[in-house]
Amino acid sequence: MKLLGLLSLRSLLVRPTRVLLSTFGIVLGVAAIIAIGVTNQVALESVTRLFENTSGRANLIITSRQSGDKGFQENVVSRVEKLPQIVAALPSLQVQTVLAKESQSNEIGLSFFGTNLGGLLLYGIDPGRDSLVRDYSITTGRFLSPDSQADEVVLVKSFADENDLKVNSYIEFVASGEIVKLRIVGLMEKEGVGQLNNGAFGVLPLGTAQKLFDRQEEIDQIDLILPPEISSDQLEMERQSLQNFLGDAYSVIYPASQGRRMTQMLSNYQIGLNFLSAMALFVGAFLIYNAFSMTVVERTREFGMLRTLGMTRSQVVSQVLVEAVLMGVVGSILGLGLGLLMARGLSRLMSILLAQELTQMNTPQPLLAVGLTIGVLVAIIAAVIPALRAGKVSPLEALRVRARNQEGWLIRYGWIAGVVLLSGAGLGLVFNPFPDDPQFRFGSMMVFALFLGGALVIPVTVSIWERVARPLMGVLFGRVGQLGSRNIRRSRLRTTLTVAALMIGVAMVVIVWVMTDSFKGDLDEWLKGYIGGDLYVTSVVPIRTNVIRRIEAVAGVEAVAPVRYFEVEWRLPDKDWERVNFMALDPAAYTRVTNFVFNQSNPDSLNNLAQGGHVFISSVISEKYSLAPGDQVLIKTRQGETPFTVAAVIVDFSNQGLVINGSWRDMEHYFRLDGANTLLVKVSNGFSPDEVGDEIERRYGDSERLVIISNETLLGRISKLMQQAFSMFDVLALIALLVGFTGITNTLTMNVMERTQEIGMLRAVGMTRGQVVRMVLSEAALMGLIGGLMGLVFGVLLSRLFLSAMTFMSGYRLSYVLPLQNILAALLIAFLTSQMAALLPTLRASRTRILEAIQYE
Amino acid sequence: MSVLQANDLKKVYQLGSSKVEALAGVDFLVEKGEFVAIMGPSGSGKSTLLHLIGGLDQPSDGEVYLAGFRLSQMNDKKVTLLRRRNIGFVFQFFNLLPTLSAEENITLPVLIDGKNPKTFQQRLDTLLNLTGLSDRRNHKPEQLSGGEQQRVALARALITDPAILLADEPTGNLDSKTGTAIMELLRRSCDELTQTIVVVTHDPRAAAYADRVVFLRDGRVDGEIRFAPDTPLADKLTQIIGRMSTLEE
Repeated sequence: MKLLGLLSLRSLLVRPTRVLLSTFGIVLGVAAIIAIGVTNQVALESVTRLFENTSGRANLIITSRQSGDKGFQENVVSRVEKLPQIVAALPSLQVQTVLAKESQSNEIGLSFFGTNLGGLLLYGIDPGRDSLVRDYSITTGRFLSPDSQADEVVLVKSFADENDLKVNSYIEFVASGEIVKLRIVGLMEKEGVGQLNNGAFGVLPLGTAQKLFDRQEEIDQIDLILPPEISSDQLEMERQSLQNFLGDAYSVIYPASQGRRMTQMLSNYQIGLNFLSAMALFVGAFLIYNAFSMTVVERTREFGMLRTLGMTRSQVVSQVLVEAVLMGVVGSILGLGLGLLMARGLSRLMSILLAQELTQMNTPQPLLAVGLTIGVLVAIIAAVIPALRAGKVSPLEALRVRARNQEGWLIRYGWIAGVVLLSGAGLGLVFNPFPDDPQFRFGSMMVFALFLGGALVIPVTVSIWERVARPLMGVLFGRVGQLGSRNIRRSRLRTTLTVAALMIGVAMVVIVWVMTDSFKGDLDEWLKGYIGGDLYVTSVVPIRTNVIRRIEAVAGVEAVAPVRYFEVEWRLPDKDWERVNFMALDPAAYTRVTNFVFNQSNPDSLNNLAQGGHVFISSVISEKYSLAPGDQVLIKTRQGETPFTVAAVIVDFSNQGLVINGSWRDMEHYFRLDGANTLLVKVSNGFSPDEVGDEIERRYGDSERLVIISNETLLGRISKLMQQAFSMFDVLALIALLVGFTGITNTLTMNVMERTQEIGMLRAVGMTRGQVVRMVLSEAALMGLIGGLMGLVFGVLLSRLFLSAMTFMSGYRLSYVLPLQNILAALLIAFLTSQMAALLPTLRASRTRILEAIQYE
Repeated sequence: MSVLQANDLKKVYQLGSSKVEALAGVDFLVEKGEFVAIMGPSGSGKSTLLHLIGGLDQPSDGEVYLAGFRLSQMNDKKVTLLRRRNIGFVFQFFNLLPTLSAEENITLPVLIDGKNPKTFQQRLDTLLNLTGLSDRRNHKPEQLSGGEQQRVALARALITDPAILLADEPTGNLDSKTGTAIMELLRRSCDELTQTIVVVTHDPRAAAYADRVVFLRDGRVDGEIRFAPDTPLADKLTQIIGRMSTLEE
């Protein structure tokens, strides 16, 4: 052990630059994994906790399965409370409103995954007993009095501060189209249930809420408390027996499962992030492999000498592996630190995407242990082949003047394994784009295999690349460029690994670009239709028909299309009931303002929708459930389970594509809802949307609580949000590229060091410093060119596969977008990366002192 | 008592389609405490012979017995252990680990053998005294002169008290004065520590320190000169040069 410590540690210390550069790969890879892991965990925990906090100590929750905005009868509480196993049943009414004074300036709440509903969320509760289930930390004033009809409210402190609301003053908000007043009796901390709606939350007595919002004797949820000693099996039995007792009209669920849909939405996004962070570490492994291969060649004589002194093969192998472990441990620890720092930044970004403050970041020990283990394992795995090669060094090498640069079997025969991996993984990906593998595991393995295969075939192609590119290097760097170009054939292993690292980096950049652009391309097209017209008008209180008529009469308004969104439950043949967004619209009015982006339709589609009993489904739903026009679906309405016929398939990405469109008439008839929550307004020619918007706001903004925004501004904001969502991917692609960058620096430094004597000789026979610089730069440029071109090919192929995988997994069918300028940009990035990475080694080469170099042993 | 015995050693290298016979049947015997030099023109097979008797390479035919072990019957691991405990090597290019101090380089074989270097303290002190490196023990190789580095290499070869010390051109990379000092040191090791030594060299001045010089030509032993214990160095040198010039004719 002492021997290993002595030799391994000192061997690392004697090559600090290389060790640092190589360890950098592990640092970045582990950092990416930790940052993404922590961010994901924090996001998931926040979402889960948010929903858990909503129900505090509740064991089970009862909600209505009835669709629409209506809840269920309050008398269910007494029915449930009579059951022997129920300790307490706490009712609540959950309403969304807006402050009277704030309604005009209140912006439309946008979020990527949708936890923030915007406006003010109020819970009507049983003041006397609600503390059984939820904790309210009162900071100022008091909690609600037990009187269930008292006109009082408790708000979250941060919300009250932002809106300048004080204890004992009155809050004015909109309820049933009227402005109402309640006295603020206390303020609570923004924790637990206070985090709901990002703190824009308050509680008031249930009776008061029912009265104000015109929902007498109605509630939205019952939180149930069961005996504390109940086991999880018993709880599940109770849940099922309660479900049977209450029947199909109600859902009996666990508190945390309320957040399940949102966490499901998050998970697809997170799978992508996890994959890219693993890829960054994979590139890091190349770097470690490269570093150890170089070290073994460089130390061949040393290993030979150690063998003559009696060191066994396994001792030599162990020595190299111990070095790998040391590098892995140091790299991983640094990576953990960097990852936690990065996680702070990414968590902030995720918090924007979720429109929800994330909970304080705890250091998740299991994740850190995983990061450390993965980092060390990757280092060991990457060092295994070089270590075995070191073990095979013959003691005779100690007697040679100069170590022989033997080409390993990997270089000579690796291409065979490469071709096998490429064809196997290629076929695997083309013929089985993981429809049954939502975790993407098989697919990820195939992608790794594909890259590995690509890397293994590089050595046999290096000479071809070099010959083809030599004239270009001559043009770019002069005669010495051609000399430098030839140099990459000298240590093919080194070239291969560097090119492979760069190839993966560039491929990741291309994949992220294609995915982003394709998504944006289709999203833009859809958004233009979805947020059609020129103005987007919303209100948290339903906009009644007479108001719509009056807005239509405003000068400059050409047409108004009212839209109402609400959740329904629907069922497909052989499937369970599922919640989905229902978008009700009047087809005639809608088509006057904007157009549907049809995917599958027929000439009668619009007429069918208008007649009723028909729906349009999104392409996502169509792909996911193999539904086509003419198929029937069941939707729960006020009239029970009602069949609707699919009239068309449209492009719609709202609510992750889980959306169906129905007619206004069906909404009124089947769901008994009235009024719109969004208006799409088309402005007549010759009028400016801003002026018309101002006019509508001046006339009705206050009275109808309207929020008016021009479509241009809204699209800009959505686009910014998308940009933020994809910037996480950009960060990871950048990390992979950075690892590739380090690889080039590492390789060129080694090449230059190894050729000190040669460079000295070249300088002695008249090569200028400038020529030396150009020679090394051309070497880097060629590696950049190969890495860039190969990365481009892999990036294009893989992004195509990813898009089709996405269709299988989530139903999104996106059109492939890869503009020419992106192709050129990818190549330019590879070239510039290579040139920047070559700067240090170039400098070193140009400073070679002739006399020292030629005396160099 | 013989420490080393080589019987009819042959070594054939395959170079492309042609075969090169480096050793064509060499018989070689070294007694305990003997100092033998192997000489011969370039390509005579002297280095190949050293590699074979040191267990660094395997013969195409023939047998090597070293310290009572028959090398051909031993696997790689056993040969490695034999080298570790019974053979000391000195190379032309010193081959010291740049990261270790002189003392650490010397005790490296002990460490490799999993033993505590402290138990070799006395031996280490003896060797440091013998090589005159007592005040340089904590220096790194880069802080030592070529001669000092070779002395460290010599002490490293002797630390385990090997049955035989094999040196391949030990003065090849040194100036004549330093080379002489190294050969004197080898001589003293033989005389004071009864160390058996085999040196491969092309330098007659180095070979003159040996008790016996074995000459090789075209892969075969081509005679030897055995010196009486009190033969002056100059006489030895004359005889060796005379013999070498015959060989090179």
